[in-house]
Amino acid sequence: MRIVVLAKPVPDAGQERLRNDFRMDREATTEVINGNDEYALEAALKLVEASPDGGEVVLLAMAPDHAQETLRKGLALGAASAVLVTDPALEGSCALTTAHVLAAALRELSFDLVIAGVDTSDGGGGVVAAGVAALLGLPYLSYAARIEPSDGRVRVRRITPNGYEVLEAPMPALISATQALGAPRYPTLKGIMGARRKEIVIRTLADLDLAGARARGVEVGGAAATARVTGSRPRAPRGTPKVVQGSPAEAAQEVVTFLAERRLI
Amino acid sequence: MTEALARVPFWWLAIPVFWGSVALFALEVVRHLRVMGAVRPAAPFRDVPRRLGAVLRYAILQTRLFRDTRAGLMHYAIFAAFVLLSTGVASAGTGGLVEAIVAWPFGGAIWAFLLLARNVAAIAALAGLVYAMARRLVTRPARLTLSRSVVAILFLIGAIVAAELGALTFEAALYGPLPGAVITNAAGSLLVRSDRGLLLLLFGVTWWVHIACVCTFLIWLPLTKHFHVASSFFNVYLRKLEPRGALPAMDLEAEDATFGLKTLADLSWKDVLDGLSCTECGLCQDACPAYATGKPLNPKALIVGIRELTTEAELGLHLVPGPSIGHARVAEDDSPRPVVSGLPLVDHAISFDAVWDCVTCGACVEACPLLIEHVDKIVGIRRNLVLEESRFPAEITTAFRAMENQQNPWGQPASARLDWTRGLPFEVPVVRDLAKAGRLDEIEVLYWVGCAAAFDERNKRVARAFATCLHVAGVKFAVLGEEEACTGDPARRMGNEYVFQMLATRNIETFEKYGPPPIVTACPHCFNTLANEYPQFGGRYDVRHHTSYLASLLASGRLATRDPNAAEAGQAEARRVTLHDSCYLTRYNEIVDAPRDVLRSVGSIELAEMSAHGKQTHCCGAGGGRMWMEETRGTRINAARTHQVLATGAPTLATSCPFCMTMLRDGLADAGAGDKVSTLDVAEILAPVAISGRTAGSKSGELPVTRAER
Repeated sequence: MRIVVLAKPVPDAGQERLRNDFRMDREATTEVINGNDEYALEAALKLVEASPDGGEVVLLAMAPDHAQETLRKGLALGAASAVLVTDPALEGSCALTTAHVLAAALRELSFDLVIAGVDTSDGGGGVVAAGVAALLGLPYLSYAARIEPSDGRVRVRRITPNGYEVLEAPMPALISATQALGAPRYPTLKGIMGARRKEIVIRTLADLDLAGARARGVEVGGAAATARVTGSRPRAPRGTPKVVQGSPAEAAQEVVTFLAERRLI
Repeated sequence: MTEALARVPFWWLAIPVFWGSVALFALEVVRHLRVMGAVRPAAPFRDVPRRLGAVLRYAILQTRLFRDTRAGLMHYAIFAAFVLLSTGVASAGTGGLVEAIVAWPFGGAIWAFLLLARNVAAIAALAGLVYAMARRLVTRPARLTLSRSVVAILFLIGAIVAAELGALTFEAALYGPLPGAVITNAAGSLLVRSDRGLLLLLFGVTWWVHIACVCTFLIWLPLTKHFHVASSFFNVYLRKLEPRGALPAMDLEAEDATFGLKTLADLSWKDVLDGLSCTECGLCQDACPAYATGKPLNPKALIVGIRELTTEAELGLHLVPGPSIGHARVAEDDSPRPVVSGLPLVDHAISFDAVWDCVTCGACVEACPLLIEHVDKIVGIRRNLVLEESRFPAEITTAFRAMENQQNPWGQPASARLDWTRGLPFEVPVVRDLAKAGRLDEIEVLYWVGCAAAFDERNKRVARAFATCLHVAGVKFAVLGEEEACTGDPARRMGNEYVFQMLATRNIETFEKYGPPPIVTACPHCFNTLANEYPQFGGRYDVRHHTSYLASLLASGRLATRDPNAAEAGQAEARRVTLHDSCYLTRYNEIVDAPRDVLRSVGSIELAEMSAHGKQTHCCGAGGGRMWMEETRGTRINAARTHQVLATGAPTLATSCPFCMTMLRDGLADAGAGDKVSTLDVAEILAPVAISGRTAGSKSGELPVTRAER
């Protein structure tokens, strides 16, 4: 079982600061692997560990060169190696470009499954995984809460607003992972030390075959982005919190009254 | 051979019996030593005078046992009898050589005195044994374990002492009074008219019972808790002399090492000696707040568990070291090495839950008469679980990640570190700004705010109060602001040495950049780690806790308090205040008086002490990273302490630690006493009445002591 996890290095949620041009101020933030992608990685590691013939997990990311350090955090958790597509020309890329680039990078890799988090905490588009699946012609199994591969096929429990559906597809396939798959593990010291020696393959645009994208008239890079951020405003601060005191029964009554007054229950 | 010995039937047989037992005892001790040799090394040898002092204080004078006077006297009687009676046995075992030497000078006065002492000690020991037995069988304090071997040993000691008294009595009845032995001489004089044959028989029997019991005791000793008779002196001598608040240093780069404590093999030989020395007195169990609130942790069970693992490791070892043939448990060369590394600590010496129950308050260490170190071992086990197995309560992952990514366990951005200064009527200078302006030299003291005071709403008020005190005193201070990171105390105590070292290295780099002035902090955990643990990484700084610093500002006259009578005009009664001591101040750093000195300087305060105060304080429940864990087992530790706070009836509770503040405020709120008792940091009590010493007209301009209080 070989699994590629799309692991996006993002600024730690809650710490983001935008520059004047509405691009992320990467100097001012700690970079981590996107939270949902960590759930995807955890699911992938568990599948490989449970697989009778072993296998490995490979991380794939498109990010600036310094993201290598962040990818090491994923390697520390148990991924065998990582591929980082990095090129100054990619700065400011939109979701469409990202999907093309990741798809091109995946064409060079062999895998049974690709797993990605349902969305990222910085961009929040939630479309890259679907785009990659479409570009590669892979079955796309979204909102996975459980993943069960067997005999060349994979069965996924997909969360819906009303319950779940069970999807099945032949492998290779692309799955988007929800947090229902289980919380990511915490790295061991041996994992952290071992990650220092693991390989991170660097790919630039010149290394990738993007003829397919160009054939569709898609140009990669910030200048060619199909969408860009043109404004930003922080959320209005929350109102003063109301502190409920008194015995549990009184407090409960007060909370119920508060909610009822606002027709919230 | 002496005249007295010659009276004993088959006296010569005592020599081989005695030396045979000594040899068996020695072989058993050697077996212990072989296990100790198979585990990790340790080198607790430096500073001989302090070590000898400890032996005198803790092993010979047994000061910690006298905290309970009756138990102390009981133990001392048995201890004295043991030491004194062994002179008689040694004499018998050497064919009277000991007596011959001791009785030689001053016409036998020393030997006569010894006999008197033996008489008195034996009677006292008998009384002590009755008391010891009564405690185990009648009053039964929970801390004492009742086992067959304990009762048997008590009877054995009783038989030794009684037989000695008997033998001396019959000897006096048969051959006349022995110089010095006044009690047995008196008893013997009552028997002089008895049948001589019977007296001879009884003399022979009691004399031999005494020797036989002593030899039995000797052989049995190393296998039971009574081994402390021999090992306690060594255990106390080899005590930890590093600051108690400094957890053992750890090399994270060691490639093939086991990180932390996984099996018996990962303990140091001193840890194994701790196990072998434990007397099972249960004083640690009595002191442990986790045990008292019904949690699985029992510090005594951990140490006894280590002894049991040691005994298990010895099962395969022949008494006489040598090649082992066809023995499954040990290697070809009869080495205990493979055995010890096959004996895991978790689930054997201590349960997984118990490992995480510990608040690292150090009450067990403070209570142990033999200076056994429980906390370092528990954290060592946590280190293994975190660094190698990634097994820990799920909720602390958040704190670990927050410390790693945001450099504080609250997960708040560094940019919020100065939020607490908002609204202050004076400016709080930031070190980086002063450095840019070339004004670093102006800083008298660096105020290390700590994450709790920076991010927790309630503790921000403490920071404001302390900064106000500094401002009023005219102290030129500065803070690091965004450059400050968690000291790493919670990470280290939760076993995450990796994150701890990451934070420690980062902070030391920051300090080194500025060549820091003395550091003051209002957090005892920050204080302990900065003062006691950063030296392990080359960071040696003058560090003060804010209570000591305020006390020295008051003592030097730079800070004064408004006339209490004027301030409290119309208030007839003094305000009653109870003070909750922080474990990391009192037990770990011996700062007991400073917060009291500050409170006393505030007029019209009457200090209402809780019974558990000073070094006997009771934990609030937040130490050892428990601040970031759910307390699901047993009852809550802060509730137990809150009960003690309420018992004083004081309307004000003073604290000197941000965690204690949070835990006890919660405890009071849970107890429905949040309105009745107000919780205030010592600095918050001082700040409203603090005035500049210069305005008060007292001696001024003097700098407070800036060396770390150690």
